[in-house]
Amino acid sequence: MATTTNYSWTTPDDTALVKDGASAIRTLGTSIDTTVKALNPGTTSGDLDYYTAATTKARIAKGTAGQVFTMNSGATAPEWQTLNAGSMTLISTTTLTGASVTLSSIPQTYNKLFLVIRNFLPATDSDFLQMRFNADATANRHKTQLYYSVFYYNTASAFGATSSQISAANDNAVSTSIITVEIPDYTNTATWKMGETTALNVDPTTTTSEQFYKGIAIYNQTTAISSLLFLPSSGNFTSGTILLYGVK
Amino acid sequence: MTKSKPQIKIVNVETGEEIVRDATAEEIAQMELDAALAETKKVEAQAKETAKAAILDRIGLTADELKMILG
Repeated sequence: MATTTNYSWTTPDDTALVKDGASAIRTLGTSIDTTVKALNPGTTSGDLDYYTAATTKARIAKGTAGQVFTMNSGATAPEWQTLNAGSMTLISTTTLTGASVTLSSIPQTYNKLFLVIRNFLPATDSDFLQMRFNADATANRHKTQLYYSVFYYNTASAFGATSSQISAANDNAVSTSIITVEIPDYTNTATWKMGETTALNVDPTTTTSEQFYKGIAIYNQTTAISSLLFLPSSGNFTSGTILLYGVK
Repeated sequence: MTKSKPQIKIVNVETGEEIVRDATAEEIAQMELDAALAETKKVEAQAKETAKAAILDRIGLTADELKMILG
């Protein structure tokens, strides 16, 4: 009996009788149906399929809200997993370029955001890095508290800026700087928002020296944070990289 | 020759879609305002350092000596 090249479906021989045509077509159709089903094992909306062998597929049902798709512990098959408390997921890696960079559509499924900004290099010497919550440039919604001054907790302090400083001044030719920002509970709609910042920058005058910075970026709006805008204190970025992590 | 406009980059972190475009007139005005505020901050910080140095000078201490006392 003749068969097809790839899936060995049975087809009529050249010498087969015409009267057996219906049966031959039915046999071929059944074989095709079986093969197509094996290639499309999904049964339900949200299903994914993956290869369990070189030519065999299986369905995997959709996960639940907030789960991530990852490899199992034996690295043999993918699976949906619920993230453990404290686990970090790299959401994006973005190059600093131009006059400003905005990270938009930040997922609202984590407990906090953690940013690592590597090698911030401003085009203008002595520039520092600034961050604007929700890219909101409305007057008097941002401010910066330097770490030493936050201990003066009884002192009223007004909001007077359109962004917050998140680094010390940096050299414009050498950058081995690293900046981190931690934004807790960024999805709530009941409190103001803050980002605790630590920065180690390259001194603009003596590039073998460092400038250290510790501060709090503050935003006096209760809106959930869905975007973050970064800009140097003047001019453009030359380079740098932002890693945005979601933390469970 | 026309001066090129500042570039704005917006990255959708969910889809990875990246838009790079010229800044609008409103955004340029905001940048100028931001730069002016930042410059004020720098000047204030420098003035603070100068004032600190003047006080230390008046009481006859160097910055390192003060650090030693406070440490």
